[in-house]
Amino acid sequence: MPTIKITVKLIGPLINLAGFSEKALELPAETTVEEVLASLPVDPQRPKIVTRNGQAVAPGEKLRDGDRLAVSPIYSGG
Amino acid sequence: MKGWTGHILRINLTNRTHKIDTFGQEFAHKWVGGRGFALKVLWDELRPGIDPLGPENKLIIAVGPIAGVPAPNTGKTVVAAKSPLTGGFGDGNLGTRATEHMRKAGYDSIIFEGQSDKPIYVYIEDDKVQYFPADEIWGRGTYDTHDYLYKIYGKGVGILSIGQGGENLNRYAMIRSLEGRAGGRPGIGAVMGSKNLKAIVIKGSKPIPVADPEGMRKLGIEDLRKVGEINKQTGWSIQSTTGVLSWCNEVAALPVHNMRQTHHPDAWKIDGERLNNARVATYGCPNCTMRCGIAIRDHEGHESELDYENIGTLGSNLDIFELDQVGSLNYLCDDYGLDTISAGDTLAFYADAIEQGAIKGDFRFGDAEMAKKLLGMAARRQGEIGNLLADGTMRMSRAIGHGSEAYAMHVKGLEISAYNCKFCPGMALAFATCPLGGHHKDSWVITFEIKQTKRDSYGPEKAAKVIELQRIRGGLFEFIVACRFPWIELGWPLEHYPEYFNRVTGLTWSLDDFWKISDRIYALMKFFWVREFPDWDRTRDYPPMIWFDPSNADKDGPIAGKILELDKFNQLLDHYYEQRGWDERGIPTKKTAEALDLKDEMAEVEKYTRLE
Repeated sequence: MPTIKITVKLIGPLINLAGFSEKALELPAETTVEEVLASLPVDPQRPKIVTRNGQAVAPGEKLRDGDRLAVSPIYSGG
Repeated sequence: MKGWTGHILRINLTNRTHKIDTFGQEFAHKWVGGRGFALKVLWDELRPGIDPLGPENKLIIAVGPIAGVPAPNTGKTVVAAKSPLTGGFGDGNLGTRATEHMRKAGYDSIIFEGQSDKPIYVYIEDDKVQYFPADEIWGRGTYDTHDYLYKIYGKGVGILSIGQGGENLNRYAMIRSLEGRAGGRPGIGAVMGSKNLKAIVIKGSKPIPVADPEGMRKLGIEDLRKVGEINKQTGWSIQSTTGVLSWCNEVAALPVHNMRQTHHPDAWKIDGERLNNARVATYGCPNCTMRCGIAIRDHEGHESELDYENIGTLGSNLDIFELDQVGSLNYLCDDYGLDTISAGDTLAFYADAIEQGAIKGDFRFGDAEMAKKLLGMAARRQGEIGNLLADGTMRMSRAIGHGSEAYAMHVKGLEISAYNCKFCPGMALAFATCPLGGHHKDSWVITFEIKQTKRDSYGPEKAAKVIELQRIRGGLFEFIVACRFPWIELGWPLEHYPEYFNRVTGLTWSLDDFWKISDRIYALMKFFWVREFPDWDRTRDYPPMIWFDPSNADKDGPIAGKILELDKFNQLLDHYYEQRGWDERGIPTKKTAEALDLKDEMAEVEKYTRLE
C-alpha cells in the first residue's frame, strides 16, 4: 500500500493533552485531515483551528507527502 | 441608582484641591463606565488642540458597574487621556487592586487635572485625599516604587504607578500595577508623568453599591469557580496566550525583522512550550481564576512575566530568539513603565532604518545587549537617540525620512501589536479601524479570518466580524470593565455579563442593549479624532504601506508571493464604513449619530468638519 509521511504539530495545551509537541507520521496515501485528527487524543468537540502547510483545511481534504498539519486551540491574543 | 456610586473624584494637582462631582442615571445608562465614562469626560472637558503633555490634558481612571464585585475577571480599571503618542483618544485597561478599592472608596471614576509643580504621589482613602512628595521614588522604576509604597501602606492597597518612562515623557509610557498588569499603551503613563504624579495609592472601606448583593455574591463566586474549572480542564493556562506564537509562525503571521518576515525557523526557541518549561511563578489579576501570567528568570536573574505580545514584539520582531533575553527586555519595559509592544516595534524600526541606510547607527537585529541599553536611553530620553526612540515610530520615521515612513509599523501613531498582516486583510482592517491605532485589543479577527473565511477575501463578512468583535471587546468589556479572556479563551457565554450587570444595577438589560452603547462609544471616539484632525480622511485608517508593497511579499512559506492589495483594501474599508453607518471618509453620518443619541456631540463636531 502506498504511504505518505507527514508532520503533526500541536500547539498550546494540546501538547500536554496529547503528550507530544511534534511528531512525524507515516500514513496510508489518501488519508484525510479528519482521520488524523480522530487519531489524536484530543477532545473532538473542542474548538480547534487546523492548518495544512499554513493554510486552513477544507472538510475531507486529503493529505499529501511532506505535509505539515498544525492543530491549535482558538486563541484571542494577549 | 444601584450599581454606580454616582461619584467622580476630581483632583486638581496644580493647587492640590479636590471635590466630588455627582452624576445621575442618564449619564450612567448612556455611558455605563470605564471607556464610556472616560471618553465622555475627555470629550466634554478637553479643548481640541491642547498639548497632551501639558496641564490642560486630564488623566481619567474609570471602572464599571461590575468592577470589583466577585465575578469572573472583574479586577480591571481603565486609564485614559488624550494620547501624546497619537494625538487622538487614548486608553487602556489593567488588572489592579485599585479597581476594588476605588469602588469601595466610593468612586466610579477619578479625574486628575492640572500639573503639580513638584513630583508627588496621591493617597486616597475614602473621602480623604492627601498629597506627598515623591522625591524618594522619582527616578526609580515601578518595582522600587511599589515596594516603597507597600512598606508605608501595606500590600492590601491598590497602587498605580509610573516608572522612568512616564517621568521623562516617553510617548509610549504606561501605568503599572504590580498586583496585576500595565495599561494605557497610547502613552497614558506619560500624561501621568507630565502631571508630576508618580503614583496613586487608593484604599476604600465602603460597601460597593449592589442591587442584589447576596445574589451577586453567590452567583459570582460560583462562576469564578466554574471558570477556574474550565481553565483547568482545557489547560489554557499551561501556555496562556503564548501558544499564539507557534500558531502565528505556522500561518505566516509572526512579526519578524520589523515585520518584513512572517515566520522563522528559530521561533520555537521562544514559544509557549519553552516558556512553560522555564516557568518559575504564575500570576493573575485580582478576581481572576485563569492566572495567565507566566514568569521566568531573565538573563540577569529577575522574575519577568511574559505574554504573547511582548515575546512577539521584543523577541521575534527584533530577531532575538533567546527566551531569557526576551525576558530581560520585558523586565526592563515593566520596570521603566514602557509599553512592550511599542518599545519592541520602535527598536525594530530603528534596526531596520539602520539596515536600510536611512540613519547611521550600530544597533543590529538580534543584539539583545544593545537593545537593553537603548530601552534605558528611551525611558530616560538620554541623548539624541534616546529622544528619538522615546517618540515612537511615527515621529522617528518623520525625523529620519529617506522613505522610512513606509516601514514604520504603526496605525495613527500607535505601534502595531504582534500580528504581521502582510497577507491578513481582516486583521489589517482590525488594526486600521481600532479607535486607538495599531492595537489588537478591540478586534482580534485573525483566527476567524484564517479558519472561517478565505484568507484572500476582502468581503463584507470580514468587516462584519471586525465590528462584531469591536462591539464585544472594545465595547462591552471596556465599559462594563472586565477581562475578555473567560469569554474568548474558555468559551464562557457572553450572556453571563448582562446577568452580572443586572444583579448589580437592578436593571433588566440584554446584550442588545449593550451593543447600542458600544456603537455610541465607537462613534464618539471617531468624533474625538476628527475634532483633533478636522482634515480627516480614510487614509488615516490605512495600515502601513509596506503591507501593500509587492517587493515585501514573502519569498517562501505559506504566503509566498502574496501581499495586501490597496484597491481591495479600500473596498473592505467601504464595507466597514457602510456597516457602521459612517461616510466614505470614515466619519459617522448625521443619521448614525442621531440614532445613537449623539445630537450634542454631532453639533460640536460640526464646528470642525462637515457631516454627511
